[in-house]
Amino acid sequence: MTADTLSRTAAPLPPADRDRFGRLLRAEWTKLTSIRSTAIILLLTIGLTIMVSLLSVSGSQTSGGSGPTYRDRFHFVHRTLTGDGSITARVGAQADSQEWAKAGVMIKAAETPGARYAALMVTPRHGVRWQADFALPDTAGSSGGAPRWLRITRAGQLLTGEESADGLAWTRVGSSTLVLPRAVEIGLFVTSPGIFKVVKHGNSTTAGPDETVGRATFDNVAARTGAGTPAPGSWRDEDVGGSGRGADAGGPGLPDGFTPPVPGTSTETGGVFTVTGSGDIGGVSPEDEQGGDDTVMNSLSGVQIGLIVIAVLGVLFATSEYKTGIIRSTFAADPRRVRVFTAKAAVVWAVAFGCGLVASVAAFLISQPTLHRNGFRPPAYPYRSLTEWPVLRAVVGTALFLAVFALFGLAVGTILRRAATAITLVVAVVLVPQLIASNLSLEASKWVNRATPLAGLAIQQTRHRFDTPIGPWAGFAVLCAWAVATLALAFWLLRRRDA
Amino acid sequence: MTAAGAVVRPRLPRVVRAEWTKLRTLPVNGWTLLAAVGLTWAVSAATVSGLDPASCPSGRGCDLDITQATLAGVYLGQVAVVLLAVLVVTTEYDTRTIHSTLAATPNRAAVLAAKLAVVSAAVLPAAVLAVAGPLLAGRLWLPGNGFTRAAGYPPISLADGPTGRAFLGSVLYLSLLALFGAGVAVIVRHSAAAISTMLAVLLVPAIVAGLMSDDRWRDRLLELAPMTAGLSVQVTKRLDTLPIGPWAGLGVLAGYAAGAVVLGAVLFLRRDA
Repeated sequence: MTADTLSRTAAPLPPADRDRFGRLLRAEWTKLTSIRSTAIILLLTIGLTIMVSLLSVSGSQTSGGSGPTYRDRFHFVHRTLTGDGSITARVGAQADSQEWAKAGVMIKAAETPGARYAALMVTPRHGVRWQADFALPDTAGSSGGAPRWLRITRAGQLLTGEESADGLAWTRVGSSTLVLPRAVEIGLFVTSPGIFKVVKHGNSTTAGPDETVGRATFDNVAARTGAGTPAPGSWRDEDVGGSGRGADAGGPGLPDGFTPPVPGTSTETGGVFTVTGSGDIGGVSPEDEQGGDDTVMNSLSGVQIGLIVIAVLGVLFATSEYKTGIIRSTFAADPRRVRVFTAKAAVVWAVAFGCGLVASVAAFLISQPTLHRNGFRPPAYPYRSLTEWPVLRAVVGTALFLAVFALFGLAVGTILRRAATAITLVVAVVLVPQLIASNLSLEASKWVNRATPLAGLAIQQTRHRFDTPIGPWAGFAVLCAWAVATLALAFWLLRRRDA
Repeated sequence: MTAAGAVVRPRLPRVVRAEWTKLRTLPVNGWTLLAAVGLTWAVSAATVSGLDPASCPSGRGCDLDITQATLAGVYLGQVAVVLLAVLVVTTEYDTRTIHSTLAATPNRAAVLAAKLAVVSAAVLPAAVLAVAGPLLAGRLWLPGNGFTRAAGYPPISLADGPTGRAFLGSVLYLSLLALFGAGVAVIVRHSAAAISTMLAVLLVPAIVAGLMSDDRWRDRLLELAPMTAGLSVQVTKRLDTLPIGPWAGLGVLAGYAAGAVVLGAVLFLRRDA
């Protein structure tokens, strides 16, 4: 990367000049490496980054992977079917309570959560879906929602789901082979997952799904035996998986600001069933576990402290020349100031990148065993390796992040020419907004992570979370924009001012 | 004081005047103080304008600490205060003026006492201005944003006990910070190193605490770090959720300031300049 930068800068110059840029680089390299505080700063950067990263992962705990790998909570209107048969219904209307709200027909081994099942349903935004026994992924049918005819047929162990627009022409959506008892529960179900919500209450933040209530109407409901006669018995209804969040969250009481769960209901008038229910049905993949930790980002979080130290390196590399007056000798030796400072920037960039790479690779590798010990294990948290792409981007990106921060420090130092003021300004711009915002609201924090140089931290993302403020490269571009803008001002001032 | 006190006393006012002149005649000091006030106001104004009673969930969950939010500008203003306190001391070392100062007044205790006195005297009125402005703005502005008495938010008033404590405490916080900064500067004697040390000691624990997931250790860190402990004096609601009480927290900062000043004084009296 360094070589690339150099050749581009030096390309238009005649060979003699190129030689001189090489000499400039060597001169700046000597200046930087001969200062004792450089070594101290670099060691501090590496040490603090690793230490703080380790500190942040060592206390973290997760129950991910130990809980159930499925969700099973819904309102079920059902009767018992013995042997083969089918359930048919037309979903007349479905409320758009959540994009993945579900209303449809189901065959389930028993009315207990986790029991084997096959279900065919409509959703407000994702069309018709076929699910069998929490398998991932589910099967998509047509893209339309309600109104729609749905039918599941059981023939021995084969379950087939079909849909129809008019109840006459049927299309197969999916079929599955399930080991089911002879007597199963068949019927209608409605459920609606929570909407992810973050509530700031005083000094604490609570994040989690907030209950929604799904509602749908069904007509032309028919439960038949294999012989085509109506299945005996009467409709019963209940909330499968309990009516509260306690059943699937198992956590403490409801936090302030969250909707209390409402028990599901069902009514029938003249063959039209109106059913309400809350919850969700389906397998849980670690990727759609909202709020799941980004373990790679956590294992690199020490860079938030390391960046201050590396920015100080950049500042001092510029201001020490002014403080000691060496800058005049430097410019006397080569009066082309911008070129001199380009060499300075290249050297400080390369040194910071190398040091950052050591810090980030070490922080990542040292954090992994601790994370595994604390429960971040497959299947919810697959082992991460340095060679897979988002991890590689995060680790190398962290080094790039530090290198750009050093440039930012160099530019501010060049502009202000006094170490104390420059360091204060860098810290004020970088850290203070984050501290203020974290005390205010989540929205404010998001904006800080989009607009200030800290946006560059986004390059460490390996997982999209509910609080992800900005994409990895966009965030890094924001940091680069800060660096480029301050460098441009620094170069302009270099040419204009007396040294 | 002992016998030496008799010699010191008549000279002290003149030493103080000399230090005051040095502080007053450097334009950067005036600008820094102005920045301390201006930055506090600006950040507080931005915060106040963004406060919205509807931003939090319905019911009793919505119980914003508007006094604390109004004083958010102190986070930024304190940086300028620290810069001033550090520079008043280290500029003398950077420029070697310290040699002339100590040649003119060999009584080092008097020089140090005078320096600390003028730094406090300069910071105190600026701190009063910086803290009073946002509270006044909050009082006039917030009712228009929906923070009315009917919504459970009486107007900000210094007569209200916790708000009065937040005001007085914030002023003391900035003043103690100035003494802390000056003390560290005397110990370190180098602008860049002193300001880096101060900013690191103030801000780094708060950032690290945000990264920690173990509540017990996080609370321990928050109650021992000078900024997070000291700023708990601004909290007016739900004091039971704080890791450390308001006055106790300010006491922690006072401990740091006293420690830095005492160590600085010992070193100042013992070391070559």
